[in-house]
Amino acid sequence: MIKYMRLEWRKLDRLNVWIELSIYFIIMMFLPTFFINVVLPEYGQSFTQAIELNSYIQMGIVLFGGSLINHVFIEQYKNKTMALSFGYPISRKTLFTAKILFIAAAVFAASIISFILSGLSTYVINLFAPLIEGPLSAADVIQYAGTMLTRSLLITVISFVPLFLFGIWKRAVVPTIVCSIGSMQLPNFSSFLHVHPETVVAVLAVLGAVSLAASILTAEKLGEV
Amino acid sequence: MDQIIKTTGLTKRAKDRVLAENIQLDVYKGEIYGLLGKNGAGKTTIMKMLVGMTTPSSGEIALFGKSFNEHSKSLLRRVGSLIEYPTFYEHLTAMENLQLHCEYLGYYDEQGIKHALDLVQLKGIENKKVKEFSLGMKQRLGLARAMVAKPELIILDEPTNGLDPIGIKDIRDLILVLNKEYGITFLLSSHILGEMEQVVDRIGVIEQGRLIKQVALEEIRKQHTDYIELLTTDAKRTVYLLEDQLGISNMKLVQGDRIRIYDLTYTQQQISRMLIEHNIGLEEIQKRNSSLEDYFYKLIHGGGSHD
Repeated sequence: MIKYMRLEWRKLDRLNVWIELSIYFIIMMFLPTFFINVVLPEYGQSFTQAIELNSYIQMGIVLFGGSLINHVFIEQYKNKTMALSFGYPISRKTLFTAKILFIAAAVFAASIISFILSGLSTYVINLFAPLIEGPLSAADVIQYAGTMLTRSLLITVISFVPLFLFGIWKRAVVPTIVCSIGSMQLPNFSSFLHVHPETVVAVLAVLGAVSLAASILTAEKLGEV
Repeated sequence: MDQIIKTTGLTKRAKDRVLAENIQLDVYKGEIYGLLGKNGAGKTTIMKMLVGMTTPSSGEIALFGKSFNEHSKSLLRRVGSLIEYPTFYEHLTAMENLQLHCEYLGYYDEQGIKHALDLVQLKGIENKKVKEFSLGMKQRLGLARAMVAKPELIILDEPTNGLDPIGIKDIRDLILVLNKEYGITFLLSSHILGEMEQVVDRIGVIEQGRLIKQVALEEIRKQHTDYIELLTTDAKRTVYLLEDQLGISNMKLVQGDRIRIYDLTYTQQQISRMLIEHNIGLEEIQKRNSSLEDYFYKLIHGGGSHD
């Protein structure tokens, strides 16, 4: 499976993916301090609150997942290289599983790196231009590491929300990206829905898991070129 | 003789349309088999099913004597193919595309890849991106990809598409060399009979998704018959006179006004004299030989209007 995941990476226009990813990282590095300084100063009352704010900001990586669904599934259907892959001595289920695991690994890794970079940049910026009250404690660092791991897992699963319906069934780029944007933004609008943001995140994660499972289970039927 | 491909009742339906119906195809080891049919007849659909690109609606496929389906795709390690338009990862180089292909097949031989590129005369462009290739170059690269992992069976859909006359001859020669020297079995498709005639051993005729005939080329050649073809100012009256005056009944009317006489009891001179005596203007008369083209035309369109 690792071999097939590696081959999925080699099929991509890797330079474009690196450029896209770098842009995400740069934006994510400065968003927490920007929000605390300009939009939501109440999140600067402690590092605990700043960590909570950052965990929602990092949901932006879901969009990277949408972009990968576009490259790995939709584009390959459109340029017919998916049909080419169907002619190789591996089952469609294995092929789709490799593609999904590749996207999952890439999104998870991107999320972890983004958490580390944004954590470091926020800390360094705060040293020179204090925005967050109080010192950074060991408990804050441990909390950040825990949030980073659990959030990255959730982001990875949520990034698959558009896969089944828009990626494999409809094979449509715009709805896929719109769905990804919706998924990453929905927790921020949870107050309008009168639910806790974490409830929205949990529901999205369930939807992502269902979409992911449906994509693998129906690979032979819906995967048809 | 070993059967390399055997299909039983192979059928493909899509959106209430039948693309291929009840195909019983037999391809034997070491032969070059051609699927002949008009554009849209169903040749590509059949080939796609044979390499797992599309799933049959019903029927069975056996490759190398073993049942082929979604769960036995490992058989494809022994098959090379180029179906429809040559598709590549365009942002990758020719070499990267072939390496990727070989990894899926579990074939690792850098020299083998270079040799395949050499065979299709693409040497020296290994590191050029495919998006910079012309259609002819892509077709050659597709052929290199089909043969690079040394398959036992190569399936090529319209292999000379996009090639210039020299390229067509090169590919034809290459197919013959691979077949004769390496014993590779080929399944080719084309809508051009002249192209098929020069390489294939057997032909399967596809018409509206059905395999209507499988025949050895040698067999058809043996059936070649001579006939006299004539063009007159009044075709209907000519037919009447030929029957009435000379007792000829084995003839047919083709293309509306041309008459083909298969009963060669009378010479061209005798026929000409009789028609002139009855004031029929004779525009053309000549002795001809029925070609493969006639055979297949007759097979697909059901022949002329008068026998």
